[in-house]
Amino acid sequence: MIQLHNVFMSYQGDGAALSNVTLKINKGEFIFLTGVSGAGKSTLMKLLYGALRPTRGQVVIDGINVTKLPSSQLPFLRRKIGVVFQDFKLLPSRTVLENVALTLEVMGWGKKDINKRVYHVLKQMGMEHKINSTPLRLSGGEQQRIALARALVNEPKIILADEPTGNLDEESREKVLAILKEANVRGSTVVVATHDKRLIENCHKRLIVLDNGRIVEDSDVA
Amino acid sequence: MSRKKAAKRPKLAREGFAGRIHYFVERAFINIRQNLLVTLLTIGTITLAFLILSLSLLIYVNLERVTENWSDRVQVTAYFENDLSPGDLATLKSKIRALEGTGDMRYVSQEEALRTFYGRLKGQEALLEGVSSDILPSSLEIHLKKDSRDSKSIALYVERLKKLPMITEVQYGEEWVKRFSHFMNLVRFAGILVAGFIVLAVVFIVANTIKLTIYARKDELELMGLVGATRLFIKVPFLIEGIVQGFVGAALAILVLSGVYLAFLHNADFFFSFNTMEAGLLFLPVTYLIALLFGGAALGFLGSLASLKRFISL
Repeated sequence: MIQLHNVFMSYQGDGAALSNVTLKINKGEFIFLTGVSGAGKSTLMKLLYGALRPTRGQVVIDGINVTKLPSSQLPFLRRKIGVVFQDFKLLPSRTVLENVALTLEVMGWGKKDINKRVYHVLKQMGMEHKINSTPLRLSGGEQQRIALARALVNEPKIILADEPTGNLDEESREKVLAILKEANVRGSTVVVATHDKRLIENCHKRLIVLDNGRIVEDSDVA
Repeated sequence: MSRKKAAKRPKLAREGFAGRIHYFVERAFINIRQNLLVTLLTIGTITLAFLILSLSLLIYVNLERVTENWSDRVQVTAYFENDLSPGDLATLKSKIRALEGTGDMRYVSQEEALRTFYGRLKGQEALLEGVSSDILPSSLEIHLKKDSRDSKSIALYVERLKKLPMITEVQYGEEWVKRFSHFMNLVRFAGILVAGFIVLAVVFIVANTIKLTIYARKDELELMGLVGATRLFIKVPFLIEGIVQGFVGAALAILVLSGVYLAFLHNADFFFSFNTMEAGLLFLPVTYLIALLFGGAALGFLGSLASLKRFISL
């Protein structure tokens, strides 16, 4: 599902953010990506959803070589990927319904179908009563669940979550993890970038450790 | 691993051109409602900018009318030794009419010239005792067309006129015409300069105001790109918003100007006018109003387009 071949990534004026990263993630896998701050986790995630292009090497997602993909085709690749951002990226002027609906709107779904689907997903997350609230009225945990709902609402093939449990209390963390596991059971490939050691230890999933832009540990390979 | 069937994609809401347009317009108006304060501030700024522009246009239009009134006084007089026979007059008139720039003309007979002279010497008629109309020449007063009222065109016209038979002398107030021509050129130059600066200022203000509103929503633009929106899908509602803001801003400026005009200006004494009977200012012609409205919409559109280019990195 996801393949990286000898990927190098460097930002202008800085050293290498990623060096010679080769990685294969199979369909339906659930993996944790970890490492200290600046290890290259976020850069790797951005390469996966096409926000960055590698300086060298190849990134292949669902059979599509992102490195060679024209910008006009990028939106269609992104529709296969649900991204949960560390800072949630919810639109404060829109309601919960409208925030989650955005993913379906860009795909051209009709209003009725969008409303039905969004309600269904929010209900699964226990958030249906907040459907008409705006994000600023929600707690951090609730905002995170809305961000998850937006990423999952179109049942994407791949889910990328960047620090999805950062700053959340124990209960919210459990809920978020349960949602991601449920999506994985439904068939989505899930990549979670996190610092949260407890989260990794409790899950017993494949773990990739980055350090200084290199993969220094891959539990699957070991 | 068991994989549940992926979410079935329901019927598209925006199938067909009309469906898409409907969606984009609806989205644009929802965005306006959700960002009401920013939208109102933008419209307010555009209104002020267009008010300055339309007020300048109002002044320009009225100044144009004044100069046009003044230039109506430009007149060429052709003198003849004696009264012309109706036949000669008709022949000469047709020859003059054939000259480029000829407008209306009026024949003043020797008799009429004397009557006018009497009129001017009111109270001192005794001075003209025993004077007959023979001592005054008959003449043709020729008004020139609007385009032929500058000093060069008049000089050329007079040269041609002098070549015609029966005309003994031609007068046209050469010095006055020269000064008037210089004044007109100055007015036009100043008008174009001021209008140029105002238009530049308006374009700058409108484009930057719209840029700020789009900057305020750059997270929205970024997010839409990240969830898979195409460039067109992101841009169109913003462009429609830009058009609406520009159009409404220009329309409000016209409304405010109309209000001010109706309340104060339409019966203001027009001190530039030579004609003391003429009072009041003209309002902007319909073509100008339409141009202002479309100009507002176009500026809104172009301002949005230019700003979106900066913030959409897809």
